[in-house]
Amino acid sequence: MIEAYDVSVAISGRRILEGVSLTAKPGQLTAVIGPNGSGKTTLMKALCRDYAYDGLISINGRDLQLLRPIEAATLRAVLPQQSALPFPFTVREVVALGLTAGLSGVPLSARKRLPELALARVDLDGFAGRFYGELSGGEQQRVQLARVLCQVWIPVLDGVPRYLFLDEPVSSLDIKHQLMIMDVARSFANAGGGVIAILHDLNLAAMYADQILALRQGRVAGFGTPSEVLTDSLLADVFDCPMQVNHTPAPGMPFVLPQSAARRDAIQTKVA
Amino acid sequence: MTAALSMSDAPRRAERLAGDRSALGRLAIAVLVILLLVTMVISMTTGASGASALNLVGSWFGGTTADPAALLRDQTVIYNIRLPRMILGVLVGAALATSGLLMQGLFRNPLADPGLVGVSAGAGLGAVGIIVLGTTMLAPLTAFLGIYALQIASFIGGLITTFILYRVATKAGQTAIATMLLAGIAIGALAGAITGVLVYVATDSQLRDLTFWGLGSLSGANWTKIMASGPIIVVALTASAFLAKGLNALTLGEATAGHLGLPVQRFKLAAIVAVAAATGASVAVSGGIGFVGIVVPHLLRLVIGPDHRYLLPASALLGASFLLMADAVSRLVVAPAELPIGIVTAAVGGPFFLWILLRRRNAIAW
Repeated sequence: MIEAYDVSVAISGRRILEGVSLTAKPGQLTAVIGPNGSGKTTLMKALCRDYAYDGLISINGRDLQLLRPIEAATLRAVLPQQSALPFPFTVREVVALGLTAGLSGVPLSARKRLPELALARVDLDGFAGRFYGELSGGEQQRVQLARVLCQVWIPVLDGVPRYLFLDEPVSSLDIKHQLMIMDVARSFANAGGGVIAILHDLNLAAMYADQILALRQGRVAGFGTPSEVLTDSLLADVFDCPMQVNHTPAPGMPFVLPQSAARRDAIQTKVA
Repeated sequence: MTAALSMSDAPRRAERLAGDRSALGRLAIAVLVILLLVTMVISMTTGASGASALNLVGSWFGGTTADPAALLRDQTVIYNIRLPRMILGVLVGAALATSGLLMQGLFRNPLADPGLVGVSAGAGLGAVGIIVLGTTMLAPLTAFLGIYALQIASFIGGLITTFILYRVATKAGQTAIATMLLAGIAIGALAGAITGVLVYVATDSQLRDLTFWGLGSLSGANWTKIMASGPIIVVALTASAFLAKGLNALTLGEATAGHLGLPVQRFKLAAIVAVAAATGASVAVSGGIGFVGIVVPHLLRLVIGPDHRYLLPASALLGASFLLMADAVSRLVVAPAELPIGIVTAAVGGPFFLWILLRRRNAIAW
């Protein structure tokens, strides 16, 4: 379980995050939503200990401050927003970097093939020999996700649940791959791991999340199930933009929702 | 997820996997070992005197017909001049290439090099300081450090400049290339200015030492220099082997390297100390020899890719070979005199550096 209690972050004297508390249980996908500058990424960086914070954060009951980097790496993997590489790595080499730390949980004999499996999960079969720098932004994002998956390939290792922290995992993906990547996150949670994902797409959050944390100006504006959080009043307040939930547009105005996508299989359904 | 577990009974014999260049890396290391052995033989057999290493080796087995007087001369030339020079070339070449590679990994930038960004100048300042002030102001220090005084002064000079450079050019784990190169120019100029003042106050005999040292040459090689710099270089090279995995992680950025379990701050400190030690020890014995640290890792990265587990040993090996070949050229082109080796490496490295810049200009990502 990830527990954050009264977490505040100040960067050069300015309060970015103010008294944020949350609980993310294994088996659950927790979505973090909020407008630009609301502190979503800052919260993620505090959870990764990239930023100094006040308050208390624990992973599986252990204080984050007391974890050595290598211990933290076995408990959670982090997908950053942007990753440019200064040197010409192949896709396989980038994905294999996820194996250099942490514990994939996979036997040594199978580890050599793990990058291929991870790439297949993010729909990049056959990309292993390509150069990372030559891929599109969306493809690079999926390569990074494959790397992150390698780090914590088995969601529950020796009875200890592990976590994925995803900072806008679908931001530069087409709709097919948005759904596919969210399916990967969902199945990680269904297998007993925990997922915390920053999402901008409220429909994806509603579809995939067990709970949603809404941030506004560094404070928690709402925390609960999708139906508790995604209400007219809360959305209007958080995003400063009046919107209506479950309101279909006038006839003649087309709209497309990811919820309507033909389901490939049942793995994306929430367990709870 | 279960698919992964079923892989456990996959055959252990590794087949060729797309994008996996580790076999290439191992092959390159094997080839470079052979290349180094060849260049070592060339280095031992070329020189202004007609001394023949082959005759000498032959004499060990009693199979030579050379007359004893010539053999004695050959023995002197080879034991006291060529052998130390060859060993020093191997040590310095490996140290220069490795420190360049470490710096490129640390700054996450393929254009970083101790010679280009002022670290060699800082190390040089340390060396000049000890040569000029070693008999007066710093006399107790030189007495205490003995033959290591020059090496340690260079190391400290290199360490200070690397720290300053890192603090100036790197913000939140990102190095701005322009800032790094310009800061390197500034630091190099400052170190050069202070060096100039020291040269100005130097005595005549000190000036002689400075000139010999500053030419950037292996010509002064002797066993004392090897005893003084060799251990430092060997320790720095050995230590750098343990930095390979961390350097790979660091290419993803400092934050991500941390997420992968790297203790980033401690790691950077270790890398900076290794760069300063390797640069300092080589500058102390051979002056400023440029471009080895940028040419060698860059060429190898093109061939075997940027995985530091293979790139580090390969760079050390090719750096050693490259310097021995440059040294052989410097001895042959104007024989019986010889060219400072720095001129040879710059003649190769300068155009090469321009070629890198042109390639990068046309590449997808700067």
